Amino acid sequence: MPTPYAAAPAAAPPRLVRPLAGRQVAGVCAGLAEHLGVPVRVIRLIMLVLLAMGPGVVAYVLLWALTPEVEATLGKPGAPGEQRSLFDGPMLVIAGAVVAFVGVAWLAQRSGVDLRLGVLLPLLVIAVGTVIGLSQLDAARRTRWLAGSGWQTAARLGLGVIVTAGGILALVTRDAPISQTWDIIVAVIVVLIGAGLLVAPWGVRVLAELRAEQAARARADERADMAAHLHDSVLQTLALIQRQSGDSARVATLARAQERELRSWLYGGGAAEASNLSGALAEVIGEVEAAHGIPVDLVMTGDREMDDGTQALVRAVREALANAVRHGRPPVSVYVEAGPTGVEAFIRDHGPGLDMEVIPEDRLGVRESIIGRMTRHGGAASSRRLDPGTEWSLTLPPPQGATT
Amino acid sequence: MSTTPAEAVRVVVVDDHRMFRTGVKAELEEVAGDRIDIIGEAPDVDTAIAVIRRDLPDVVLLDVHLPGGNGRGGVDVLAGCVAVDSRRGRPVRFLALSVSDAAEDVIAVIRAGARGYVTKTITGTDLANAVCRVADGDAVFSPRLAGFVLDAFGAAAGEIAEVDEELDRLSQREREVMRLIARGYQYKEVAKELFISIKTVETHVSSVLRKLQLSSRHELTAWAMGRKLV
Repeated sequence: MPTPYAAAPAAAPPRLVRPLAGRQVAGVCAGLAEHLGVPVRVIRLIMLVLLAMGPGVVAYVLLWALTPEVEATLGKPGAPGEQRSLFDGPMLVIAGAVVAFVGVAWLAQRSGVDLRLGVLLPLLVIAVGTVIGLSQLDAARRTRWLAGSGWQTAARLGLGVIVTAGGILALVTRDAPISQTWDIIVAVIVVLIGAGLLVAPWGVRVLAELRAEQAARARADERADMAAHLHDSVLQTLALIQRQSGDSARVATLARAQERELRSWLYGGGAAEASNLSGALAEVIGEVEAAHGIPVDLVMTGDREMDDGTQALVRAVREALANAVRHGRPPVSVYVEAGPTGVEAFIRDHGPGLDMEVIPEDRLGVRESIIGRMTRHGGAASSRRLDPGTEWSLTLPPPQGATT
Repeated sequence: MSTTPAEAVRVVVVDDHRMFRTGVKAELEEVAGDRIDIIGEAPDVDTAIAVIRRDLPDVVLLDVHLPGGNGRGGVDVLAGCVAVDSRRGRPVRFLALSVSDAAEDVIAVIRAGARGYVTKTITGTDLANAVCRVADGDAVFSPRLAGFVLDAFGAAAGEIAEVDEELDRLSQREREVMRLIARGYQYKEVAKELFISIKTVETHVSSVLRKLQLSSRHELTAWAMGRKLV
């Protein structure tokens, strides 16, 4: 549900796309400029220099082939569905690079230019490996990285490292005899480990930042959840109260019901408690309050699982409460103590008092549903008059087979 | 009762909701204007400590949840007003007033030194009586606080102290008094029920309060530790 506290998505740099508007040739430079946040003129100048030197051709063709085209003008998101990640397929990148490079190199060699392939090839491999490795730090993937769904990510990172190491090895061992190669392999591994150690603190910091970011998002979600709940419950009740402000009894009932609901939401464990005596009693009291508009205070010590006996007790409490709110006067209070010697319940009001002697026999409510019900389950029920009011006391023995 | 109309109980109301402070003031003035004189109010911990140390009231009505201080609400106010005496030369007494049902909140302010705890839904007359009782040095237990006490000391499960001085359990008599308070009985009703005087009831309640503040039962210390009181 939309709420005013819904977490805003984290800002990410614009995706690399080729815009139709503002392009000179294929939109590669314009797209790059938008993606990197650099003036398009600078990008075009660099691209021209690179093109003149040769490698720019490969880069331009690759970018052109791999970047999706969008109809939107720069600075606005494109229509969904036609966007594609730059690094969707690292294998595609490698294949494209190799094909383009081989073609260009073959053409160059044919026309008699010495490209020193021995140097150029390893350099290219290093570049590709680095790109694959670094692509894992792409903003869109960081969350997945942290979420841990990442054997694929790890594989890609590993592949990047291996390709990079291979490139360095090829570059260094170009003219060396086989006997020296092992030394060089060891040296390369040491260098890589050293580089890893240098980068590790940075990596750890990035990871910590991301964790903090996730925690903040969780807090924002919680806040949004709370706002939604308050909106659904409290604000609605307040609106109802304003509309019915003339009827004070109704207002009190609404306020009381809302208070109980909010309390159970804030402090209570929720619906899971309904299988216990305390949960069942709270439910019954809520129903009585809602039906009669008279507040009832519940104090409970100890607890017990629901069974036939406690079920009967809860029903008897409800009947006694109904009598209290109908014939008595507030404050009405319920005290229930559940311990090893059984359950005791006291229901008290402050009314004129109910005399058992003058209750007609046909008053089934009291005789049958309170006293009869408790005795059938091995307990007892009695009522007595207090200075103001009446107090019912109900007792229930411990459950069968209990070790007492 | 030593409080006579000539010397009304001087009260400071500490609560972060202005509407609630205004309501309490109006209600207390209406039902007990001759017995109770509200001399000040404060919306947060730091203002509360300053006002209490300046005006030296008899009783402070203290909300459990307050902004400011070290973030512990009413507990910080109690910590900041240790050994402050009222103008009459008696210690400033605190009565906790809360909407919270959470046991740890209640037990925390009691263990920090409050003389009682009542809920905000209490009627004006009952609140006035509670204020006067606290001013006289007695403890005020709501039915709910009595329920907490019975739970925390294991009294509901049948644990009873062998001797009255034992701090970690309630005596038989204290348990009976607590049970009657939990059932919604006034002090005078408790006295009548147990065939004892009101003064004896007050003695038992004060003794329970002392145990609540000094006991090292793990139910209590766990709460206190949760609130960084230990």
